Amino acid sequence: MNVVEINHLTKYYGKKRGIIDVNFNVEEKEIFGFIGPNGAGKSTTLRTILGLIYPTGGSAKIFGKDSIQYGPEIKKQIGYLPSEVFYYDKMRVKDLLKYAASFYQKDCRKRIRELAEIMDLDLDKRIDDLSFGNKKKVGIVQGLLHEPKLIILDEPTGGLDPLMQQKFFELLQEENKRGATILLSSHILGEVQRLCDRVAIIKEGKIVELQRISSLQERAYKKIKIQVPEDLDSNYFQIDGVSNVEVKQNIISFMYKGNVNAIMKKISEIKIVNIWIEEPDLEEIFLHYYERGA
Amino acid sequence: MNIFLHELRAYRKFTMTWTLSLMAVAILFFAMFPSISRQAEEFKQIIESYPETLRVALGLSIENIGSILGFYSYIFIYISVVGAVQAMNLGISIISKEVREKTADFLLTKPVTRSKIMTSKLLAALTSLVVTNVLFLGTATAMALLVETKPFSITVFLLLSLSLFFIQLIFLALGILLSVLIIKIRSVLSISLGTVFGLFFIGALAATTKDDLLRYLSPFKYFNFSYIIQHSGYESSSLTVAVCFIILSIVTSYLIYSRKDIHTV
Repeated sequence: MNVVEINHLTKYYGKKRGIIDVNFNVEEKEIFGFIGPNGAGKSTTLRTILGLIYPTGGSAKIFGKDSIQYGPEIKKQIGYLPSEVFYYDKMRVKDLLKYAASFYQKDCRKRIRELAEIMDLDLDKRIDDLSFGNKKKVGIVQGLLHEPKLIILDEPTGGLDPLMQQKFFELLQEENKRGATILLSSHILGEVQRLCDRVAIIKEGKIVELQRISSLQERAYKKIKIQVPEDLDSNYFQIDGVSNVEVKQNIISFMYKGNVNAIMKKISEIKIVNIWIEEPDLEEIFLHYYERGA
Repeated sequence: MNIFLHELRAYRKFTMTWTLSLMAVAILFFAMFPSISRQAEEFKQIIESYPETLRVALGLSIENIGSILGFYSYIFIYISVVGAVQAMNLGISIISKEVREKTADFLLTKPVTRSKIMTSKLLAALTSLVVTNVLFLGTATAMALLVETKPFSITVFLLLSLSLFFIQLIFLALGILLSVLIIKIRSVLSISLGTVFGLFFIGALAATTKDDLLRYLSPFKYFNFSYIIQHSGYESSSLTVAVCFIILSIVTSYLIYSRKDIHTV
């Protein structure tokens, strides 16, 4: 079942491009990443799904229902964390969370206490006394306190220190195990790589690629570096799929794309001292998409 | 209900400040009444020495300054301007503060319709104005009874006082309409002061030129005090215009707000 279905979603701000013909689905219990640089249209997409802005064309369905027509009903099951969190400054954290909880017909007190404990958040402080990172924590608790079935996060980790980021990811993974579907946008690829099952890459308002994280990495290049005992003919590795060969004394490095067995066979035929095979990170894959159109 | 209570709490300080100011203005003015009424003749002479256009523009009626109702209609000009600024501030703020303080994302991603948000905020603003008017009315009536020794019509006095509420409703509606029309509002006070004084001067201009069309442009002229004192009631044509304006602005605001894009900060 698809929790989110986006069909030909288009948004123009006057004549300015927001997003053009965006299509993707997020399956139930999936962690879906939405990546692209700033200004590519990530927030526009998420805000349209949430009914904060209205589409110029196309539509989005959440839990099988139109996101605009059934907005309030759908939102009972959505938790949202905006990229920049702002709350009523003069309120105390406790009162703000109580206000947030009052929109849902359930008792959220226990969950608020649990979440505050996990995120190490002081409930008695006033919002305007909080640091940026602590405000973000309020945002996290606020977004999760009603145990939503769909969690939408826009650039979730900005402002959190690495330790908190770790705790937050664990929290999201727990929510996911509990059955929550997660849709998150990011321009930090590491976090997408760590969390997501599938990603959509967005560029200048259009989706350029929709892939499983695993196949994205599989299909991509491997970085291979080999140390050999004696000088080797640099042409030895000239087979299909090898590129960027570099020889530095007795270390050869190159990029390889293709059947791993072929290259392994080639390597096994020579004497080697050491070998490094690295997966390219998403950043490198990503750069590739961006350079292609540039 | 939760939004209504939250909003009401948010306006608490605002409501108290403006209400106390209005009460203080009323107390101050009424305290001046005994001495003015004793020297009514001299006051009439001073006012008569003003150019006639100025007198008409300010709405000073010379004959009545010595009676509490005449005096009240004179000081009410100032009270209604203060009240108008209060209502206009409130009207502009209720929707635009969510954008200015960047809390719109919080509120609008909750399971509520935009019209419910608008209704809750509108009701909270109305409650705030009702509190102001009840306290003001109490203070003004008590002060009037205290300073005026001669009998006077309580009905007319209440009608005069209630026109504050109507003027405030008009400015509340106008404020809300402006707040959904203008994309980004940086300073609420500059817009409300500008609008209130602008309309006040249009009213003054209408009085001097006796232009009936112009008169309908200024809510301050909807409640003609000599008419109220003479007829113990409001002018029906003005009242109709006022009610129509309020309904139209509010309905338009609902429509615009429910289709409006909430932009990122």
